[in-house]
Amino acid sequence: MDYLDKKYCFVVLLLILGCKSKPKVEILPVETFFTGAQQANYQISPNGKSLAFLQLYQGKLNVFVRPVNDTVSTRVTAFKDASIRIVNWVSNNRLLCVKQKDSINSYNAFLINSDGTGRIIVQNKANTKVNVLDAETHDSVNVLITINERNESFFDVYQLNIYTGEKKLFVKNPGNIVSWFADDEGNVNLGVAGDGVDETIYYRKNADAPFTRVISNNFKNTLKPIGFIKDKTHIYALSNLNRDKLALVKFDCVKGKESEIIYENPDADILEVLNSALNNKPIAVTYEGDKRETHFLDERYKKIYTEILNKLTNQEVEIISKDSLEQNFVIKAYTDKNPGSYYVYNVGQRKLLEIARVNPAINPENMCGMQPVNYKTRDGLSIHGYLTLPLGKKKKNFPCVVMPHQGPNQRNVWGYSPEVQFLANRGYAVFQMNFRGSTGYGKAFENAGFKQWGGKMQDDIFDGVQWLISEGIADPEKIGVFGYGFGGYSALNQIIKHPDTYKCAASYSGYINLFNYIKGFPAYFKPYKLMLNEIVGNPETDIDYLKSASPVFQIEKIKTPLFIAQGGKDSKVNVNETSQFVKELRKKNVPVNYILNENETQLFKNIDNKLVFYRQLGEFLDKYLKAQ
Amino acid sequence: MKTRDLSYRKNFTLIVSFVTLISVLLIVVLIISYDLTKKVIENEFSASKVDVLEKTVAPYNVFFQNKIPEISFYQGFLDSASAKTYANAVLKKYPFVEKILFYDAQISNRPVQDGLRTSNFSLGLKALYQYSPKNVTVLFSNDKPGSLSLTNGDEFNKIGLKVASYISNVDTAKVLSNEQIFSIFYNISKNKITYMNVPRREDIKTYKELMFKKLPRSPYYEQDVFSFELNPYKLAVKNTHPQIYQHISIKPLSFDSMLEKPNLVTTEIALPLAFSNFKLYLSSDRAFLNKEVRNRFLPIGLGIIAVYSILLMLVFFISRNLKINQKLFSLQYDFINNFTHEFKTPVAVIKIAGNNILSAKELTDFERRRYGKILDEEADKLNDLMNKLLSFTQIENRSIKVKSEEIDLETFSQNIIDAFQLKYPDYDIQLDIHNVPTFQSDQVLLSSIFYNLIENAYKYANPGDKHLTITIFKRKKNVVFSFKDKGIGIEASELDNIFKKFYRIQSRYNQQGSVGLGLAFCKELVTFMNGSIKVKSKPGKGSVFEVTLPLR
Repeated sequence: MDYLDKKYCFVVLLLILGCKSKPKVEILPVETFFTGAQQANYQISPNGKSLAFLQLYQGKLNVFVRPVNDTVSTRVTAFKDASIRIVNWVSNNRLLCVKQKDSINSYNAFLINSDGTGRIIVQNKANTKVNVLDAETHDSVNVLITINERNESFFDVYQLNIYTGEKKLFVKNPGNIVSWFADDEGNVNLGVAGDGVDETIYYRKNADAPFTRVISNNFKNTLKPIGFIKDKTHIYALSNLNRDKLALVKFDCVKGKESEIIYENPDADILEVLNSALNNKPIAVTYEGDKRETHFLDERYKKIYTEILNKLTNQEVEIISKDSLEQNFVIKAYTDKNPGSYYVYNVGQRKLLEIARVNPAINPENMCGMQPVNYKTRDGLSIHGYLTLPLGKKKKNFPCVVMPHQGPNQRNVWGYSPEVQFLANRGYAVFQMNFRGSTGYGKAFENAGFKQWGGKMQDDIFDGVQWLISEGIADPEKIGVFGYGFGGYSALNQIIKHPDTYKCAASYSGYINLFNYIKGFPAYFKPYKLMLNEIVGNPETDIDYLKSASPVFQIEKIKTPLFIAQGGKDSKVNVNETSQFVKELRKKNVPVNYILNENETQLFKNIDNKLVFYRQLGEFLDKYLKAQ
Repeated sequence: MKTRDLSYRKNFTLIVSFVTLISVLLIVVLIISYDLTKKVIENEFSASKVDVLEKTVAPYNVFFQNKIPEISFYQGFLDSASAKTYANAVLKKYPFVEKILFYDAQISNRPVQDGLRTSNFSLGLKALYQYSPKNVTVLFSNDKPGSLSLTNGDEFNKIGLKVASYISNVDTAKVLSNEQIFSIFYNISKNKITYMNVPRREDIKTYKELMFKKLPRSPYYEQDVFSFELNPYKLAVKNTHPQIYQHISIKPLSFDSMLEKPNLVTTEIALPLAFSNFKLYLSSDRAFLNKEVRNRFLPIGLGIIAVYSILLMLVFFISRNLKINQKLFSLQYDFINNFTHEFKTPVAVIKIAGNNILSAKELTDFERRRYGKILDEEADKLNDLMNKLLSFTQIENRSIKVKSEEIDLETFSQNIIDAFQLKYPDYDIQLDIHNVPTFQSDQVLLSSIFYNLIENAYKYANPGDKHLTITIFKRKKNVVFSFKDKGIGIEASELDNIFKKFYRIQSRYNQQGSVGLGLAFCKELVTFMNGSIKVKSKPGKGSVFEVTLPLR
């Protein structure tokens, strides 16, 4: 008997160990990933004592306020018709908010005390938009806003009295300025004129002088003003004039010349500049090669940042908001597995206080790590990408989802992505890459994508997939491709060019016709046309290329099962065309799962539509990539 | 009624009426199925034209549903060169497209000379090209304003009007439906399809603003209008049913050949919208159709006849079986009859003897002995009869076993012969045994065979001719017993029947004392003993019965 008992014990023990050593990855429901943030837009009051933020109330974002030291928050507004888009502190107890009025093109602003009293609506004409230019009161009374009230097509700068809500025209738009810049004293002496293609910087010495042209650039170069330097004649700006990568420079507005390079990274564009309003200078820049890096230009901030990092080991930290004395900061810390949390950090006390989590439903332990990868294309270009592998002991031969990014003049970044985690949780290796034409790696790399949408950019994606197969990571029999916008367009192009490599493809509002894409830009600006001719292709002379690069002309070549989701109001895609595309494919007996939401734009905003989309996407991929 | 139920019934009339009925049915079914086949062919003749139409206009449908809307994919960006590529592809692939007009159009709010203007909206023409399989012609160019001819501008104006009226009323918040696209951006008239590329929703918004708002001079928005001239006669007719349609052609809607060819069966179906004044005209000679009817009917008719033949065969077999059963029935009836007679004689004799004994006052010694002998003999007869019947049924049911014992043939045969000669003093029996002294078999069964055959030979011979020669000899591994008599012989036609049960040749020789079991019994016995029995006979001369039994 004793022997038997021991034997059974041993067997039971083995069973338990067997179960333990192979933890089954739990497949989380779609809602976990996509239900989205409950709270956002944390703003700390000038005295560093209160936080204002937006939170859902009756389905719309409303303003809430809470003391930093207490978790009890007070609802300030109760709008049920539309969400609040912007909230700013204009004093220690008064807020300036912007809210959608009656149509998409109409926003109005109002002022309100942090206890919900004293609401004053800023009057503006119907169908005009209010924007906040400078929420700081330099004279304790006025802030700066812009409104397109005089003429719908451009914005003038107004001074807004934060107590009476009266507005006063401050700077008249000569008619071409699209963005204004205020200096630390609330003067507006810099504006950028642009038509979306060419940009011209205008500058005046003082309010009495006329605006004069400083410099013009076309779409291939960038000179992006960040703010003024103390002498008021120099600005610092991100520029790639005469260099490949965006660098932080000092620019002389009088001479119209760059006067000094503040920071330049040899491998990557500067993405962000962090300013200190207190010291009136840039304090840090960030750039991203494989992962986000921060370079400090100021020792005090470097110290603060290091202290924060000591408390939040191995996390990425971004500064969201700071008080007027720059003693209290709202920061967001995140990792690839963690959607992140908001904290308030007090410099004097070195105290870090968590105030909210971005998505409390996510347990970082169940999420999958994202690793930067590099590969070489057939023409020797080095491409940066990111690979996310599912949890578990297995390290090879995964079913794989290739996810080209949208844009194409955007990029993938390292960090938490609900979509990537959603797919990895379902057992897919997720592969993202910054093919040529992506931003962040200098203008040569970006411009290399010109007129290569259906050409070398697609080759870059395919070379990445081949690399992934050769590394043994992807199971060559189980590869799918999914993306939205340009990513969806790429998904379609991949299966047209390589029908044997991909088992299925999903296009979420993907472009299907480049002629249509080109037509989507205003026709009356010649510069636009010239830009599109160069970036996408000339619809009159490059007709053969554009046809070959447009999925709608390649229906004959499509054999792969498709999943197509489309918003009816997407301006880049003609819905009738997409529907016809689907119809023709179905006639050819290509299985197509088609979701058309008439009232959505490119990406579905309605949470139910969003959940339905991702649920069906999961089922679609499982059907074609998991079947034995 | 009960007696009637069990009585014997006649089948002949039933069979005859059944055969008549199925024959009538055969004819009716043949007629009906012929008529049906004819109807089917007629129906097919009028219904299959849809198939023919579908196949014939299939390329047109692809052209209409895919190739024309493709123009929209170019979003108005087509120019003379790219339009030429497009047009050539169409002309090459769709021979029924004879000519393509390409109106390179522009929408703006500027005044135009050639084209259309309502409010501030103008649909002008940059150039007009004509593509045909052979050449490209420039029919108009806006270098020479005002040179657009009325005929060339006609289609352009028609579609322009439609589009302009649509833009003036459009609700830009709504998505264009397919029906709207069809009614606005297509203009379909006799042998002509004109199509304008469908603008995007944003473009339609812009066009509406151009129309109703006072705006500065707008840029030109490109639109492409194509007009296709079609030739219905160049549609390739695809006869999908050559067995029913002799001729198919495309004819004007008014065409009718009834007067010239009265024997022609015809049907027609209208071509789709763009060819609406033409029809597909399908015809066949009546004889051609009749031939097809016959072709179709042949297998059906053969099938029906096959079923009929099977039925007839069944009737034949059933009636044959009935006949045999009837014969068997009468044989059994005869048997009972005979058998009763057979029993009757001894019973009557016994009864008389009994009566005599009963009524005599005194029996003399002689009388007593006589009656005793009579009773004894008759009782033996009855016993013999019963044994015969019993053993016969036993053998028939195979319920007895064949014994195997050594028989001295000489002694065995002589005993039987002696018995017969005692019984029939006038019977001359010769025995001839060649070289077979002994034989292994069942003595009782063998003696039964001997008795029967010897008895028969005596019975069926005229007085004075009662001779029998028994020869026993070896043949291969068998012993043959041959019984040769000089009797009346058997008719050749009866030879097959004599071994059957209850069969008796109707003749004066068997008026009584025979049940017709003898030979059948012999045959059963011989078969039972793995042997065979044969007979040769000449009427008036005598017969030879030959029994062959295996030596062991």
